Amino acid sequence: MVLHTLNASPNSAAFRDCLAAIAPGDALLLLGDGVYCVRGATPACEAILRCGAQLYALDKDARAAGIIATPDTVTITDMTGFVALTARYPRQLAWY
Amino acid sequence: MIYSLLVLSSPVSGQGAQTAAAFAEAVLAAGHTVRRVFFFDAGCYAGTDLAVFPQDETDRLGPWIDLAEQQQVELVLCISSAIRRGQLDATEASRHEKPCASVHPAFTLSGLGELVDATANSDRLVTFGG
Amino acid sequence: MSVTVTGKKTLVVIRHTPYGSSLARAALDAAMAMAAFEQAIDILFLGDGVLHLMPDQDSAAIGVNNVGKLLASLPLYDIDSVYVDAASAAKYRIATYDTPIAGQFLDQAQIQQLLSRNDHLLGF
Repeated sequence: MVLHTLNASPNSAAFRDCLAAIAPGDALLLLGDGVYCVRGATPACEAILRCGAQLYALDKDARAAGIIATPDTVTITDMTGFVALTARYPRQLAWY
Repeated sequence: MIYSLLVLSSPVSGQGAQTAAAFAEAVLAAGHTVRRVFFFDAGCYAGTDLAVFPQDETDRLGPWIDLAEQQQVELVLCISSAIRRGQLDATEASRHEKPCASVHPAFTLSGLGELVDATANSDRLVTFGG
Repeated sequence: MSVTVTGKKTLVVIRHTPYGSSLARAALDAAMAMAAFEQAIDILFLGDGVLHLMPDQDSAAIGVNNVGKLLASLPLYDIDSVYVDAASAAKYRIATYDTPIAGQFLDQAQIQQLLSRNDHLLGF
């Protein structure tokens, strides 16, 4: 089980590499430019929703980016939630 | 749980470095410990004491100083990444005959062994890049 | 300094091109430091990171170390295993017999399994 953290826009190599590396049971936390991946009804968002990971987005970065409406399966989380995710998942991999 | 952080993000580009400082704060608030924050590559700019930020932007250095001084978190800049970016403490400034130190005293300069130690002795290693 | 061997396994994941940024060299330096302190360390070249494995690199004219030559020296450093993202290697026509260091080429499922087998993942 891996916590993937993605800090890159959906047009990036990091986005493609990250999606390919996600296994069932993993989690994906979007932060920084990664939050654009869950702008609803975009091709990137559709791909993210299909990836099989539990989905999270960091609240401060989503708000800054104007990402206010996200699909129901994306949990908006704060820094406390981020820490809880790193405790729950035994390893983290940063994509950027 | 014992955490260490690896910070690769520049403090002046994107949110990665500021998120890392807030994350360290939240790790401690959750009752875990932080063994070390290791700054590497562009992350080493975090230690600069010479940067000046406009008043309407948040201070990038303050959160790290608070972590070091109030919570005794160890902040280590990778020495080879740091000095090639002009990040020198007093010892390195004098060794390389530079006019002044540029790193805030809350940070120390050391080798990659500190990162190795952090991975060997932490339950979690969390990386911040981009 | 010395570092106790605690049995933790670390995987360094290299995703950026060798000469386009300072990240790639940082990643290799980190991996070599882990190995020098006798920690269990593997390397995975993923995505554009597979470009480290191009044959015929000659960096003399740009004034930085030759990454191909550096990789060829890795067996001296006790890096346990080198893994390569096979799909990305194929995209760049990098063949198993032509790389500066021998690596195990992995498909997507094998990469996912590799990530879950390590205690720490350092993504560069």
